[in-house]
Amino acid sequence: MLENQETKVGPVVSVLIPTFNRPRYLSEALASAVRQSYRNLQIIVVNDGGEDVSSIVNSFSDSRIMFINRNENRGKAFSLNEALDRAEGKYIAYLDDDDLYYPNHIETLVDVLENKTDCQVAYSDLYKVYYKIMSDGSRQVLSKVVKVSRDFDRFFMLYFNHVLHVSLMHRRDLLEKTGLYNEELNVLIDWDMTRRLAFFSDFQHVYEITGEFDGSVAGSDRISIQRRKDNSEYSRNVLTIRTTRPAKPWTKIKDMSIIFIADRLNRQTGKTLGSIWRHTFYPYEIYLPLPQADLDRLNTDMPNLIRVPVNPLASETERIDAVLARCDGEYIAIVPGGFAIKEMWVENSLYALINPAPIRREPMLNRCGISGEGFELEGSMDTLWAAVLRKSDLQHARRSFPDLPVRQSLKAAGIVLRPPGFEELPFQFDNLLGEAQLAGKNGNWAQAAQMFEYIADNHQNQLSMRTQAAKAFFKAGSHARAAKLSCEVNQQRPTVDTLLLEAKVKREKKNFDSAIELLKRAEQILEGRELLWT
Amino acid sequence: MDVIQDSSDFEAYRKTESRKNSVEEQDLTQHYEVLQELGDCYTSVGNGAQAQRCYEKAASLGPDEPGPYVGLGVVALQKNLLEDAEIAFRVACRLDANCAKAYAGLAMVAQQRADYKHAFEMYLKCLELDTDNLTALLGLFQTSCKMNSFAEVIHYLEVYLNMHPGDTSVMLSLAALYMKDGRFEQSKKILLDILTLDPANKDAANLLEEVEHSLVQTRQGTAFCNKSQNGTQAGV
Repeated sequence: MLENQETKVGPVVSVLIPTFNRPRYLSEALASAVRQSYRNLQIIVVNDGGEDVSSIVNSFSDSRIMFINRNENRGKAFSLNEALDRAEGKYIAYLDDDDLYYPNHIETLVDVLENKTDCQVAYSDLYKVYYKIMSDGSRQVLSKVVKVSRDFDRFFMLYFNHVLHVSLMHRRDLLEKTGLYNEELNVLIDWDMTRRLAFFSDFQHVYEITGEFDGSVAGSDRISIQRRKDNSEYSRNVLTIRTTRPAKPWTKIKDMSIIFIADRLNRQTGKTLGSIWRHTFYPYEIYLPLPQADLDRLNTDMPNLIRVPVNPLASETERIDAVLARCDGEYIAIVPGGFAIKEMWVENSLYALINPAPIRREPMLNRCGISGEGFELEGSMDTLWAAVLRKSDLQHARRSFPDLPVRQSLKAAGIVLRPPGFEELPFQFDNLLGEAQLAGKNGNWAQAAQMFEYIADNHQNQLSMRTQAAKAFFKAGSHARAAKLSCEVNQQRPTVDTLLLEAKVKREKKNFDSAIELLKRAEQILEGRELLWT
Repeated sequence: MDVIQDSSDFEAYRKTESRKNSVEEQDLTQHYEVLQELGDCYTSVGNGAQAQRCYEKAASLGPDEPGPYVGLGVVALQKNLLEDAEIAFRVACRLDANCAKAYAGLAMVAQQRADYKHAFEMYLKCLELDTDNLTALLGLFQTSCKMNSFAEVIHYLEVYLNMHPGDTSVMLSLAALYMKDGRFEQSKKILLDILTLDPANKDAANLLEEVEHSLVQTRQGTAFCNKSQNGTQAGV
């Protein structure tokens, strides 16, 4: 059947398949890569020191497969780097040994990256599959659900991952900028890479389901899931990822310089610095203007900390000026020692600075690049003043009024500082989604449905939010509304959930033939006929 | 001087992850639901073979669910395989002692076997669990007619109509029972209501004719009795 497919000519895509001790599923995963409609592939299988899988790999007799059979277990990041070292494709795609591509996966993503977007990274949606393990060890599908389908959100990507690695394809040459996989990490290595990719490219979300991954309880034998149970290891990995700064220039992210103001280095100063390290996810460098004697006493492995020696008698303003002369962040946060640092302490105001509310449109930059606006941080007060603003604004104020203290110089330069409004805060989508889910959990499905619809209309992610709204409307008893929404979703992209929902309503109306057609389609998906050539 | 690093549990991260990884009930029942729905649709269009295929698969995915066995029982009943049907309905009852549909199925099997007493009991049991079950209600009506025992079925029909006012098929059954019970005025009122809702309802019109005839006869009989009584009293 494969021979009947028209050979697709296009750039080479390298598919990376690391495997470790899961020979049972590797064969299916590899078959799904080999059977891609897009033929110009380099498939690199890396055995990370696990059970011998040579016979499985060799059974394919496919010249496109390259097999790296290592005896020593070095971890997934090492395996991916090993594969990348040999990768020759213009694009890189990933497949875990227990996941599956549908036949159109590579073709869909290549088509988008080559013809439909300027992005250098694209991702599709995947079914999460729940299995029941039968007594003979075979797996019976319980459900296929699209759990993660989120439009690219760079700010959220800096906070946490929202793209499944198996659905990801990116240009190989981007790795020259991002660097390779971090072999020091043992969990969340996928997020570490997608986060770094976000420094250099937007991601194109493709609304097609092009594969599936194992979400069953059996999936909990995954090494990464076991490792996540170790609290301190998990924290170490998160901190490492969040403080990773790929080499500049960054094309999609502007840097932030934090100026930390303290008279002396003491216990309180150390505590605040530690809090900044723990609670900041936006890329930053922290500048510490202190007397040399204090800097010499500073003993820390805190990354991205830049020591700026100043005269012990230097005033606060002089310390800020000293940093301003050498820092290279486009955004400047000024934080005094003792300032209360918590989650989102700087990001709430920073987001407002980066993303002006729609009503204000773009910030009005004058000829000197002055926006005239900055944001105070939550908790800022006269005695403990903290703010974030554009470096160009601060420089302008200091140049214009060098003899005034910093706050007065900003005021004199006409730069207004204010707290961000509610509508200017980040993660509106996540907060609303959380509230809608909570309403549903409390049985208030009508309210949940309306909230999901509101989110769909105002916060992107239309398809997934309308699916949620349809399900909630059905539970609320508004079957006509549920039918309309699920029908609309099914016309764009049918899923098992929405097909089932639409069929239920058709059956209620005694439209059995239509219901049967919808359910047959759902059954086909559940029974894996998406994996076959159609 | 060390930078103090508190032990952090990164609760927000874990929450984000756990929301992403949360397993909802539907995640474990979706395939079962699809097959059960599909089986029910095939049953409705009379495709017993496909319905049976779906129910059998559904039963393997949800071995503790009574639904597929009820479906298999219905398919067997459609094929007049009464023993198979009874076995399937009994399995459903065993899996869920409160499965109203399974009792309705057992009642239908009994009714087919002309065991009206058992059928009546099973229909009643079904209606105790689900007063909304129209199949059981109409089955109870039919077995009541066979057994000439109307008191309980009238009660359930009245309960059902309170919940579903305007269901003309049930209204007609109730009118017929009122008539059999000699409650002609109540019967007439319901029949007039049916004809208001559905002026072309011939069954209701015919029954109304019978009821009015009975009413006339009753009135005449009453008048005759009164007259006789008066005559007696007057010493005629």
